[in-house]
Amino acid sequence: MTYTSYLYFFGFAIIVYVMYLLFPIKHRWKVLLAGSCLFSIILDGFLSLCLFVTAFSSYFCALQLTKMQDDFNSAKKGLSKDEKKELKNKVTKQKKTVVAAAVIISLGILIVLKYTNFFLGTINGISAFFRAGFEIPLVGFVLPLGISYYTLQAIGYVVDTYRGKYRAETNPAKLLLFVSFFPQMTEGPIGRYDKLMPQLEQGHRYNNEDFTAGITLIFWGLFKKLVISDRASYIATDVFSDYNKYGSFVIILAMICYTIQLYTDFSGCIDIMSGTARIFGIRLEPNFRQPFFSKSVGEFWRRWHITLGTWFKDYVFYPVSLSKPFMKLSKASQNHMSKFMASIVPSSCALFVVWLGTGLWHGADIKYVLYGLYYFLIMILGTLFEPVFVKMFSKSKIDRRGRLMNSWAVLRTLLLVNMGMTMFKANTIGDFGAIIWRSFTNFSMNDLMYGTLFERGTDRHDFVVIAIGVIIMFIVAVLKEKGRDPLKSVSTGRIYIKWPVMIGLILAVLVLGAFGPHYGVVDNIYAQF
Amino acid sequence: MEELLEILSEVKPGVDFETEKELVDSGILDSMTIIQLVARLTDEYDIEITPMELVPENFNSAEAIYAMIQRLED
Repeated sequence: MTYTSYLYFFGFAIIVYVMYLLFPIKHRWKVLLAGSCLFSIILDGFLSLCLFVTAFSSYFCALQLTKMQDDFNSAKKGLSKDEKKELKNKVTKQKKTVVAAAVIISLGILIVLKYTNFFLGTINGISAFFRAGFEIPLVGFVLPLGISYYTLQAIGYVVDTYRGKYRAETNPAKLLLFVSFFPQMTEGPIGRYDKLMPQLEQGHRYNNEDFTAGITLIFWGLFKKLVISDRASYIATDVFSDYNKYGSFVIILAMICYTIQLYTDFSGCIDIMSGTARIFGIRLEPNFRQPFFSKSVGEFWRRWHITLGTWFKDYVFYPVSLSKPFMKLSKASQNHMSKFMASIVPSSCALFVVWLGTGLWHGADIKYVLYGLYYFLIMILGTLFEPVFVKMFSKSKIDRRGRLMNSWAVLRTLLLVNMGMTMFKANTIGDFGAIIWRSFTNFSMNDLMYGTLFERGTDRHDFVVIAIGVIIMFIVAVLKEKGRDPLKSVSTGRIYIKWPVMIGLILAVLVLGAFGPHYGVVDNIYAQF
Repeated sequence: MEELLEILSEVKPGVDFETEKELVDSGILDSMTIIQLVARLTDEYDIEITPMELVPENFNSAEAIYAMIQRLED
């Protein structure tokens, strides 16, 4: 069952919503819990098992952490300063053991299921290289849908409890709901307990504004997914799987189509999920903020998959940067390096860990590791050359923040991101290299003149629909960037704005959606992580 | 406060730290700059800054950073 299937929309979500409204307000969270459990069982029985283990281990560990803190708070009364410090150190060590246990259980399940074959394959590769004469057979684990999302969400909850950000949840059923809330189960956004849980447990009455905003978001997401993404996917998949047949123009077009596909697929599904949650009166964390208007790769990652980026920042980058070995490295850098290098070396090392983790999070393949390191390299080069750029602009007296330079910065970021997306899509790193090489070296007008593009399942009509869809998305993005969200005005605006836009969106999805005998089902890309 | 303003100008030159109130929210201080700043602050003020303190509210203005330092010194 996928988010775009009729079963999900007209069956599952409607039944859960009707039940939600029929139940007394204080028991409505139980309907969400039952719906979420049923959803995970329908998706995959094994997913439910993994989900329950992660949720309950997080529940018990967090509860233990709060109890330890309470015990410490009672025991420290009347102690001297030194005794308090000694007790605090002892309790901190114990608390760290509990956090480690929770992380090992949750992350352990993810690592075993997702990365076992990657490790075995690497060992086999090394064995073959050195002709060691052995090969370990690969295992046939099935990766439960959404495991990479709810695992991070559960770990974030335990770590925040350890840090004392909030007290542990005392009701195991409520924590299970937090980890498994069905709209965000398979593709995020990765939620935070203090923002999501109060909304989940508080029953919401029917609210016209929430309902209209939710429906609008769902159809906007469907428009992105079914009208734009699924069409673009045919072009990208055809060309990428057989790139030797095509010249530069078609390859560049396919690279652009894949970037469009990935964005509209992921952000479209997030809109569908956020819209579903909004109908229940629940607002999920935003995951995108017009990423293609970014002026740097760093900014792009602060606007793209926002909840993953902030998760890595809060639970990997900051703790690693502030850990004792990194603080020692920082001091050593200050003693032995120039002021500039000393300021960037320690944080760059922590950033390396983040991008290695981000790459591996996307998939168990060397391609994804290099994908993460590609962005790391761009960011580090940007930081290293910043003083040179500052000097250059100051000497040339070109306004760096002027319209021209801003436009160039946006275009440059777009090109770099498009290159990253190509690496993401290519089957192997070798293919990526060959595709990039071909995109620069095989210019021929024949591709465009003889309609090579339209020979493989896509026609002119598909290109026109994609182009119109992208223009509409661009206009919406520009308005959002200026603080005027047109989708918001559908739910709050006057009736002569609301209905034409709603009907237009619904008709566009029904008439232009890439479904029917001519089109196959395109799986959500980010649900596979 | 003057010492803090000096450190801030060294870590991120060209910003008016006396008036700017949205250092994190407006993207002037990104996570890498915050870590560079934290390394300097722990050194200069002999304080321990944990990941828990690394929230926008503590870094959005020079006053907020100063208040955090005073709190951690106590």
